Parts: sequence; structure tokens; C-alpha cells
Amino acid sequence: MKLTTLGKLCCTVATVALVTGSGAFADTSGKKIALSNNYAGNSWRQAMLTSWEKVTGEAVTAGVVASADAFTTAENQVTEQAAQIQNLILQGYDAIVINAASPEGLNGAVKEACDAGVVVVSFDGIVTEPCAYRIAVDFHAMGKVQVEYLAGRFPDGGNLLEIRGLAGVFVDDEISGGIHEGVSANDKFNIQGSVHGDWAQDVSQKAVAGILPSLPDIAAVVTQGGDGYGAAQAFKAAGRDTPIIVMGNRHDELTWWKEQKDANGYETMSVSIAPGVSTLAFWVAQQVLDGAEVPQDLSVPFLSITQDTLEESLKTTQAGGVANVEYSLDDSKAVIFGN
Amino acid sequence: MSALSQLTQKPWIWAWLGAVSMWMIITGISGISAGGQVLSAAASFGTFFVIVATGQMFVITLGPGNVDLSIPACMTLSATLAMKFMNGDASLLVPGLLISLTVGLAIGTLNFLLILLLRIPPIIATLSASFLYQSTAIWSNRGLRVKPPEILGDFAVAKVLGLPVLTIVVLVLTLAMAFMLHRTPFGLSVSAIGQNIRAAKLAGIKVEKTRYLTYLMCSVLAAVCGFVLAGFSGGAALNMGEQYLLMSIAVVVIGGTSVAGGYANLTGLWGASLFMFLLVSMLNTVGLSAGFRLIVTGAIIVGVVAISGRKSSV
Repeated sequence: MKLTTLGKLCCTVATVALVTGSGAFADTSGKKIALSNNYAGNSWRQAMLTSWEKVTGEAVTAGVVASADAFTTAENQVTEQAAQIQNLILQGYDAIVINAASPEGLNGAVKEACDAGVVVVSFDGIVTEPCAYRIAVDFHAMGKVQVEYLAGRFPDGGNLLEIRGLAGVFVDDEISGGIHEGVSANDKFNIQGSVHGDWAQDVSQKAVAGILPSLPDIAAVVTQGGDGYGAAQAFKAAGRDTPIIVMGNRHDELTWWKEQKDANGYETMSVSIAPGVSTLAFWVAQQVLDGAEVPQDLSVPFLSITQDTLEESLKTTQAGGVANVEYSLDDSKAVIFGN
Repeated sequence: MSALSQLTQKPWIWAWLGAVSMWMIITGISGISAGGQVLSAAASFGTFFVIVATGQMFVITLGPGNVDLSIPACMTLSATLAMKFMNGDASLLVPGLLISLTVGLAIGTLNFLLILLLRIPPIIATLSASFLYQSTAIWSNRGLRVKPPEILGDFAVAKVLGLPVLTIVVLVLTLAMAFMLHRTPFGLSVSAIGQNIRAAKLAGIKVEKTRYLTYLMCSVLAAVCGFVLAGFSGGAALNMGEQYLLMSIAVVVIGGTSVAGGYANLTGLWGASLFMFLLVSMLNTVGLSAGFRLIVTGAIIVGVVAISGRKSSV
């Protein structure tokens, strides 16, 4: 009797040790982690939440942490999310992972959480409060890499059409800044027009259709994700040759690219952020609770798809969804301690 | 001379003048062939504005406080459920359309029940109920973008003599709506209620029944618009309706329909829809920023409301 209990215990310990890897084990098994999310109204955010559920669900089952609940505010408002964070502090969560509605607006609530001994990890929409951990995406580079790719395709340059995101949002300014920096470094390129597609295919389609008649021949379209398919539809409707459109990892964009590739050898690239970055944030919070030394500022690579990886990416991307990477503990450790 | 002054008295004239001047600026910059192409695009995309704005126009005509803010959520839910059900299968097109219509009928009914039974002002009832619709859309498919049946996509982008088929269909719809507004008891009741609800009641108009039918029609049109838009743009998306909240109201107001209710204008709806599309295209062509575009749009709406408000107080 005693022996079997001991055996079970050993077995549990072994499992936990296996899951948490080397170092301290099961230190976090009693810890509660919450996700405070400001918005869920598009497919990228839905994929982000699905990844969180999947990875943290497995972690809870394995006993790595006690719970990992996700909370999304209804209105995408700073005040609402600040109140939500205060509630999470009162409910006794040990760590709060935040995708923030504003870089500065939540700093008061974040400071309160830190003062109460709660670990705060922000990602995607990061917060500037120094006590929080930040997992930032280099959106600037995401814009620049597109022009660098095009410079390889068009050594003599050419005319570009830029599709931007939602006006007034930090991410839109960053990606566009990167694109413009890339263009000034490769001055054979000209941005002939710039429209806002709000990261939505139908809005992009409309905006591109409106400006297209006024544009000269366009060699390539630089984008921000969620807009490439709409742009392709607008070019088709206008009866124009399809330019090189940089895609944004959405399933419909990759499918369209594959069709073009099979039909006429179309070549392009695709770049966006993997929604599974939420799972990296989860493991960072877990590692901090575990007592690991984690740098305050981390950066996460964006996810690029090339001509060679297209088929493989298309296979692993859920129909109608967006190409994704979910992080295991070991993947996360590589990001945390690798740089 | 008097013909000209009569023309400037028409509430729809300003929207059309705006649309024509935007088109002339674009044509002046980019040439006549570009002007022709942009007009075709304007007809194509303006059609979607007209569909939702027609419903919104009838609602606003019911008088102060009447507005439907659930249009974006209704479009999203209708398109999401219909696309998911059809799953790209053309043989399911008719049942898919029926699902979309049912969503419209259900939402219109629910909106009106909240307004009538719980006595919630329409602006709050439709806004809060739209959370329910949007959440249902999220829950049902979690934002996955399902492709429409090919035949629906083909229909949505088909053109005859450079004019989109969809535009022709909606033009016919507009004519039917104009007949309904000016020649049927229902349309006249809507205007009467908006002009003076007490007088309308005393005249024996069934006010609540008319209001119900109006909200019902608005939701059904929004649902159909979502269905066709999903066909046009390659699938339903959770944020596909976002632009249509402000746009449905802006198009109604700029088109010369009275914000205070009682006076609807379908001619202006088309002018305003073309104007809104051409305005954005013009600003993009000139290279002005999105911030400037939003300022201009806001200023135009405020200006139009201020002018039409002054007229009704005289």
C-alpha cells in the first residue's frame, strides 16, 4: 500500500519534471495565471485565444500550474481593462499576462499589480510600466523585410502600392515606418499610393479598387497582413496584371498564392505574427514564478513563409485561420535564455 | 432661374454635387479612362452602402431616437452562419440565403421586443443587443474565414456593360422601396409617425406595428448585405461590418434624409454612397492621410446635420 503510493508519487514527480524540464520542478504547481485580453473581434485574436486555451490547458492537466484562465474585455476600452486587472489582483492571481489596449493607459493598474506581488507579462500590445515584462514584436523590421525581399526580386526597382492597417494604431505606424525606411534605403522603389485596409480583406479590396485607376503600373504591393487577398481581388476586378503581393499568413492568402504558383509559377513571400505568441507569454510568466532570471524585455521573431515553405505551412494552417506557432516550454526557454 | 433654385431646394442635390465634384477631381488628376474605372468601382462598392443605408433610412425616418446600431453585428452573424452552413457548396446556396434571412428576421424581432417590452431606447437596445449577436458569431465559428460558394462570388462581382449586376439589382430594389415609401400605407405611415407621432396615432395608424416592420426590414437588409458582401470579398470575417455603422448613418444624413425623422430620401442615398466612396478614393489619390480623411468626413456630417437642423426649425 505504502509502496504503491510512493510509486504513484514518484511517477507524478517524474511526469512533472519531464514537463517542466530541468531545474526547479513543480514550484509553480499551485500558482494561478490569468490572461487579460482587450479584444477578440478578429480571426487573429481568436487564434491567439485558442492557442492559449490549448497550451495552458495541457499545462494545467500536467500540473505545471493550478489554473490559467483567459478574460477578454467587451469594449476594447482602457478603463475597462484597468478595472479588469484590478479585479484579477483581488482574485489572487499570481501572474497576469496582458495584451493591452494601450501602451501607457494601463500603467497605473499594472503598477498596482506589481506592488501587490503579482508578476505582469505583456505581449503584442505591450505596456511601458518598467515593472512589467514585455514580449515585443519588431513590427518595424516586419515592414522593412518586405522591401528587402522586393529589392531582390526587382533589382531595377519599381512602383509600389502600400496597404496600411488601422489608422491611429501604434502597430500601423511601426510597420509603415519600416516599409518607408526600406524604400529610402532602396531608392529605386517608389510608393505610388497608400491606402488604409484596416487589416481586413473587404476593406482593403474597396480601398485598392478606389485608388487603382489613378495608379501607373504597379510592380508590387506591400502589406500588413489580412489584406493581401483583398488586394488581389481588386487587381483582378480592374483587369490588371497581378503584381507581387506580400501576403500576411492568412489561410485564404496562402491558398490564393498556392493556386497562382501552380497556375503560373507566381512567387512572393508572406509575413505576420504568430498568434501563438500568447503561449510564449504564458511560459515567461511561469518561468518568472519559478524563480528564473528572465530579462525584462524580450523580442519575438515574426513568422515568415517563403516559396519553399508554402505547401508545408498551408498544410499546418487551419482552414480559414492564420499560420501559427505555439510555444512549448523548451521553445520558450530558447527565446528567453537564448538572447 | 426658378428651375435652378428649385433644384437647389432638393435635399438630395448636395450629395450628388459632392459625388460629381469628387469624380471630376479624380478624372482631372488621372484622366478620363481612370475616371471611368473609378466610377465602375464606386458603383460596385457604393451598392453595399445603399443596401444597409436603405434600412437605416426607414428607421431614422420613424423620428427622434430611432436608429439601428446592430447593423454591423447583424451582417457578421448572418454571413458567418450562412457561409459556415454552405461551406462552399453551391447546391446549398438557397438554404444558405434562407439562414441569412432568418437571422435578419430574428434580429429585427429581438431588437423590437427589447424596445417595446422592456421600454429601452432604440439606441441602447440595438447597441447592447449587438454584443449578443457579435458574440454568437464569434462562438459559432471563432473567426475562421469560410469561402463562399463560387457561384455567389461570381454573382457578386459580375458585370454587364461595365455596370455591376449587383448594382442593377439594388437599383431595382431602390425603385421598389421608393414606391413603398411614397405610395403604400406602410411607407406613408413611417413618414407620418416621424412627422408627428401623436397625430399619426390619432389618425388611426398602427404605430407599433409600423415600427416593428421597419426594424425588421432594416435587419433583413443588413443580413442580406452581409451575405452578399461575404460572397464579394471571399468569406465572412468577424470585423466585416465595422465600417458600416458610421457609414449607414452618414449616407442617410448626407443623402438629405431628415435626422429629425419624417422625411426620407432615396435619391440622395445613392448620391451619398457614391460620394463617400469617391471622397476616400480622391483623398487617397491626392495622397492625404487617413487622419485628414476622418476629419473631412466628420466635418461634412456635422455640417449637413447643422444645415438640415436649421431648415426644419424655420
